[in-house]
Amino acid sequence: MKKRITIGGIGSVLLGDDGVGPYVAGILEAAYCFEEGVTVADLGTPGLDLVAHLSGIDVLILVDSVKNSASPGTVTLYRKDEILRHGPAPVRMDPHSPALSESILIAEMAGEGPEEILLIGITGEQYEVNAGLSEAAEKAADEAVVQILVELGRLGVSYTKLRTKSYLPWWTPLSEAPPSPAV
Amino acid sequence: MSTRITIDPITRIEGHLRIDVEVENYAVSNAWASCTMWRGIETILRGRDPRDAWMFTQRFCGVCTTVHAMASVRAVEDALKLPVPANAQYIRNLILIAHALHDHIVHFYQLSALDWVDILQIPKADPAAASKLAESLSPWTRNSRNELKAAQDKVKAVAASGQLGIFQNGYWGHPAMRLSPEVNLLAFAHYVQALEYQRKALQVVGMLGSKTPHIQNLQVGGVANAIDLDGTSALTMDKLETIRLLLAEVAQFIREVYVIDVCAVAAMYPEWFKIGSGVTNYLAVPDLPLDNVAGAYDLPGGVIMGGNIGGVKPFKTASDPAFREGVTEDVTHAYYQGEKPLHPWQGETEPQFTDWDGEKKYSWVKSPRFNGQPMQVGPLAQVLVGYAQGHPLTKKYAEYALSQVSAIARVNASPSLLHSTLGRHAARAIRAAMLAELADKHWQLLVDNIAKGDLSVHNQPVFPSGEVEGVGTHEAPRGTLSHWIVIKGGKIKNYQAVVPSTWNASPRDEKGAHGPYEASLLHTPLARPEEPLEVLRTVHSFDPCMACACHTFDPSGKQIARVKVL
Repeated sequence: MKKRITIGGIGSVLLGDDGVGPYVAGILEAAYCFEEGVTVADLGTPGLDLVAHLSGIDVLILVDSVKNSASPGTVTLYRKDEILRHGPAPVRMDPHSPALSESILIAEMAGEGPEEILLIGITGEQYEVNAGLSEAAEKAADEAVVQILVELGRLGVSYTKLRTKSYLPWWTPLSEAPPSPAV
Repeated sequence: MSTRITIDPITRIEGHLRIDVEVENYAVSNAWASCTMWRGIETILRGRDPRDAWMFTQRFCGVCTTVHAMASVRAVEDALKLPVPANAQYIRNLILIAHALHDHIVHFYQLSALDWVDILQIPKADPAAASKLAESLSPWTRNSRNELKAAQDKVKAVAASGQLGIFQNGYWGHPAMRLSPEVNLLAFAHYVQALEYQRKALQVVGMLGSKTPHIQNLQVGGVANAIDLDGTSALTMDKLETIRLLLAEVAQFIREVYVIDVCAVAAMYPEWFKIGSGVTNYLAVPDLPLDNVAGAYDLPGGVIMGGNIGGVKPFKTASDPAFREGVTEDVTHAYYQGEKPLHPWQGETEPQFTDWDGEKKYSWVKSPRFNGQPMQVGPLAQVLVGYAQGHPLTKKYAEYALSQVSAIARVNASPSLLHSTLGRHAARAIRAAMLAELADKHWQLLVDNIAKGDLSVHNQPVFPSGEVEGVGTHEAPRGTLSHWIVIKGGKIKNYQAVVPSTWNASPRDEKGAHGPYEASLLHTPLARPEEPLEVLRTVHSFDPCMACACHTFDPSGKQIARVKVL
């Protein structure tokens, strides 16, 4: 049986480089056609709602902005043990705060978690409201796409590349968007 | 001598609810609620096309996506006085109901049940005794000894691994935890089952909205769902039938599990019906419109002041003049510039950050007020406002829940008990039961309307050249949500969102009146101030949702929660 694989972009498209996960998901949706069983999704900032997307699949590949010591635009691959190393947040004050490890642990406790989880992390430069992506993050997004295709190849997934123009997301800041055609 | 406790979960982002309380003689003597991140996202919308606004507002929060999309299209429709076809109203209502059912289930089981349920007591439970107890309370078929034993084994496996995983940070063994091992086991078994049913509700949102978490089917003036009962790709009878069955399964879980569990837990902590009332001014807006112009609703709205249920003032419409004119936002204690409270259409969002100072400015949340008064919003407000008006569906489930509590606790539970921490949980369960019943009704309304030959789903918006103002409201899972828009020449001139958690988490105002979280914490007893479980119980009962908009993963694990006792 074919593996069920979800590729999920995580982050807020309104906050600068936090939108790089959804941006990568957007490129994959616009420019590639994957075989059945592969789902590409812009998951936004789902908090514990991520649990619903973890159930009934074999492999989860997440793309998210990361804060680490690397320079902006660096792409780093994390595996499940590295994501879970620090466990859930100690006090659940605001129940909807980002909850990557919490969601994974809940799904596993319920016996529903995917067997393999990868996180493609892109080191962000800025998280300003309405700033769009930094040049570093935009370049890193292309690299992340290549990394994902490599992982999919390893998992035996086939895909075709579509002929498309460059991808311009709907949330591009007004200052960077080309003038809209007259209605 | 008082002790100061700060609860400030510093997770991988800065942007959270922080609570400070002063404790004297094992009880809270003063409280401050603050949000530690700037929410100026509305500024993104200025200059954009009002027809696109909902796609952006849907990103305000990653969990409450749908509700911000809906309030936004309603704001533009209100500004244009644009009617919405009946089919579109019903499709929207079904999405709102399914989202709310998902949200209420997750809130009770995944986000707050473990404030009351002690996981470490579960290995001691007798599954047979737990099953017998469960079957005396509910006809639910998944309470068998075997099912409960399997749930117990999950906890035992986690405990035996030496790492508690998802359960590693609870206040287990706290003296305020008082359920029997069997009740703890039952609640936990339902915690696991709840994961399945919340997912079914989300599936409905995805089927009608074409994607979840971000629905794609909205349009100013209606929806984009093509209706073709015999077709293959549009909204077909097959699809509608699947939706009906999913909603029926969720409804059964709500009636036979969620409502019963809330009543049972409540009956075993009766003192929590006397704790956590705080602000007893309540505000709810009418929702689930039944016609094209939103003149009749299935959820009533209105205002109750000072806990005076008999003096309820109903709202006739979702943009009732009393509501439109009564809302202001005050920034005396919020990190913004500004002298006096402003109406949202005139609202400004100019930051003026200072350090946390409980006497001066201490939060990024503004203080919304209604006719100058702090208001509590949420399921409790909605249930009380409906109950006070004699709304039959509200009365049916409120009276049912109170009779359950009375029977289990052997007391006479009256509606006045609802002004409390447990009242908020009970009201959320009551609301869920109402919505589950309404899901069926609105599904039938949609199917009947289509059967009459009406396939219309959209009216075209037309923008005037001048300036127009609108407000879009929605009674969201966390309470009254309102989006306020000013449109000039077809472009957005101003946009303000007054969200439920802003009402509830608001800091003090110019008169020094506490916001609802703050007021609800006063006098709360604390058994162990260094483990402030009781504070979390009350704060969680509001279902807080703050600034969850940024999601950067930090692999170095800077996830230090600070429960600081000074």
